[in-house]
Amino acid sequence: MEVIYGLIPGMLILGLVAVVVLFWAARSGQFEDLEGDGQRILMDDDVEERDPRRFPDADD
Amino acid sequence: MGGSTAGSGPENASDHTCYHCGLPADGSISANIDGARRHFCCNGCRSVCEAIHAAGLQGFYRRTPEGRLLGPPPEPPKDLRLYDIDEVQQEFVAGDEQVREVNLLVEGIHCAACVWLIEQGLAGCDGVAEARVNLTGRRLRVKWDSTRLKLSALLQRLADLGYVAVPFDPQAAEGSLQRENRRLLFRMAFAAFAAMNLMWISIALYAGADQGEFRTLFHWIGFAIATPTLAYSGWPFFAGAWRGLKQLRLGMDLPIAIGASITYLYSLYVTATGSGHVYWDTVVNFLFVILVGRYLEAMSKRQAVSATQRLLDLQPRVATLLNDGEESVVPIRAVRLGDIMLVRPGETIPADGEVLCGRSSVDESMLTGESTPVMRNAGDTVSAGTLNGTGALEVRVSAVLRDSALGRIVELVESAQASKAPIQCTADRIVPWFVGVTLALAAVTFAFWLRQDIETALMAATSVLIITCPCAFGLATPMAIAVASGTGARHGILVKNGAVLETLSNIDHFVFDKTGTVTEGRPQVIAAQDADGTWLQGVPDTWSDQRRDHLALAAALERRSEHPVARAVVEFADAAGIAYKHLEVDEFSAEPGFGVRGRVGGRELVIGTADWLTRRGVDMSAAARPLDADANAGAHVHCAVDGVAELRLTLLDRPRPDAAETVRALRADGIHVTLLTGDRRAVAERIAAEIGADQVIAEVLPADKDAVIGRLREAGQRVAMVGDGINDAPALVRADVGIAVGSGTDVSIASADIVLITSELARVRDAGLLARRTLQVIRQNIGLSIAYNLIMVPLAMAALITPLVAAIAMPISSLAVIGNSARIRNFVGGRGGAY
Repeated sequence: MEVIYGLIPGMLILGLVAVVVLFWAARSGQFEDLEGDGQRILMDDDVEERDPRRFPDADD
Repeated sequence: MGGSTAGSGPENASDHTCYHCGLPADGSISANIDGARRHFCCNGCRSVCEAIHAAGLQGFYRRTPEGRLLGPPPEPPKDLRLYDIDEVQQEFVAGDEQVREVNLLVEGIHCAACVWLIEQGLAGCDGVAEARVNLTGRRLRVKWDSTRLKLSALLQRLADLGYVAVPFDPQAAEGSLQRENRRLLFRMAFAAFAAMNLMWISIALYAGADQGEFRTLFHWIGFAIATPTLAYSGWPFFAGAWRGLKQLRLGMDLPIAIGASITYLYSLYVTATGSGHVYWDTVVNFLFVILVGRYLEAMSKRQAVSATQRLLDLQPRVATLLNDGEESVVPIRAVRLGDIMLVRPGETIPADGEVLCGRSSVDESMLTGESTPVMRNAGDTVSAGTLNGTGALEVRVSAVLRDSALGRIVELVESAQASKAPIQCTADRIVPWFVGVTLALAAVTFAFWLRQDIETALMAATSVLIITCPCAFGLATPMAIAVASGTGARHGILVKNGAVLETLSNIDHFVFDKTGTVTEGRPQVIAAQDADGTWLQGVPDTWSDQRRDHLALAAALERRSEHPVARAVVEFADAAGIAYKHLEVDEFSAEPGFGVRGRVGGRELVIGTADWLTRRGVDMSAAARPLDADANAGAHVHCAVDGVAELRLTLLDRPRPDAAETVRALRADGIHVTLLTGDRRAVAERIAAEIGADQVIAEVLPADKDAVIGRLREAGQRVAMVGDGINDAPALVRADVGIAVGSGTDVSIASADIVLITSELARVRDAGLLARRTLQVIRQNIGLSIAYNLIMVPLAMAALITPLVAAIAMPISSLAVIGNSARIRNFVGGRGGAY
């Protein structure tokens, strides 16, 4: 059970790192726009309009 | 776009929906889009759609979520040039001469497709370096090259795409209050993290590790977690306790600080000496729970302002100055006394001054409460903040900013605010007693057990301090108010300052402003008479054909005018089902402030005040006859046909439909109701009789309204003021509780403690009921925490409390308070009847 002497402080440090990361994220505005950033990646550029042959389905 | 039109644009097979926003379209507005004829609901949608296609951004329509209406674009902004002035930009633009950055509040963003459209649309602009939309906050941050692109052009580009953007300063908008809240949130989050980690250490200790080989390790780990928590999360309590001590006040922070530090020191003593129980988990959980309460309390104090309200507040104020015929737009601060400014129709007058030339009707309702616009000619004075009506005015500036009439009202508001004592909640009054008794009991306990041994004495005294648990006590009020604020918001009642709910629950005098609050703020025809004063009985369909014809002629003529009186006449004719739209109107002319004239169906018609008709050669001698009291209580409009006075209409600003019901309900609760107005006594009394108010205070000058409230309060009454105009603002602040109705001006909303989102007066009563319900729950909460203490403190004094009992008992008391507060959510308002 001696491992516990290393595990517990290790866990605490890991937990603390998580807290610090969370604080940093909140401060740097990572939670400012939860809606928009999630949607943004779904908004591709208009490739299919420039070259319809690449996406035959889009031009039906 | 290579002929690939198939994918772009929503289905527009039927002519009944707008191609842009999907709302019903009547087919009268259409345009050629991508080679096909498309219909729109309004010109706004059409031009936005054309702009989107012209920029090649029609992919926008494919990205909009299905089945969601976009809605027509907001009204485009009027004068964007002012944003190019460097002094104006200073307030919200960061960056150097060339590359600048601005934050914009954007109206009209619905969904992620809008984000795409704005970002793509601006990226296509020459000079835009970066544009990034925050969908949640409806904000946009733009970096642009000011040498290549003007800010006004950028805003115009957004307007073309259907969005109205207003620059703002995020620092000022967020405010110190919110930054303080965020710091509190961090402290709470850290305490939560510490509490969770300590919990399993504690469970291990309770489960038997207290006797095992890891006892010392676990004790020191508790120390390692509790120390930073006490220092960081506990900091506000130490600071607050120190402030309280300096002012010789026993506040809530003191027992919290003492409880936490004593528990901490005792645990440290146990950890160092190795004998007894540690209370590390208590320290941390205690701080966490109290911080939750504090955070809820802070949230209930948030400024209940909507985005549009912020827009109004942050918009830079400018004036158009005339300099030898040259127009220039300058910020209001740069306006000097004696400057000549031009006020266009529909603009807000930026400064006080004297009219040099031009004539116009000016809507001064925000200052005086008088709903009918007043005529301003050369030589008259006009006030800042009032709305110019129909004509352009050239005005010589006589007072700006703080010296203007508007500025003086703001000053009145500020002085009223300064003279208002902070609200004393029930909990605030009990706290010093609670703290005093707790400290005394701890001291007695310590002294008693000291005779046995110092160890027991220390433990028992600490237990008393811990177990008295200001947790439940500290949560009692903020928790109830937080739930009540949320419930209120669902019912259209925004509580700006939670503490005021307690005051509202024992108000005994409600004062209502008349114009715009009790009444709708626009006149209606309430009676009609023959020109000689004979009453025309009943509704117009029982009138003689001749009278009906006269009303039809009048309505046809008045339809051309936009004056409130004209609208009332037209509505009256509409309600009577009189046909007038077929009548031809020629030679229409309006004399602002007097009336209108013209030829209708070949007959000469003059409608207006008695004086004006006399001047136009109509014999008005019959109209000079005295009227009975009822008819005297309104304004009159005379109508002459072919030079003969035929009809007289009495107009009155009618009370809102729910006013009488609200007043009746308030009086049934034993509350005195007063109508306060600057209007004539006869008018005020008529309205008061109609809604059933107890008392009328009429003919009050705008500046005296707050003095009236002040006198009522000095007489020992607890007064709530309900109003909407800027002139009501000082009275709203002066009253114990100020309630602004939704249609109110931003100044009155800023001055009020409670804002009703709609103009329904029934909400006033709902707010009162909610307040009473909240106070009831607060009292129960305080009762709960006192009952808990009555049981636990004797046990602690008898040195019978073990850490395990403390660890279980404390959360239970807090949970009881939280659960009890949550019951406020069931509030359904006066009409639900469940109260």
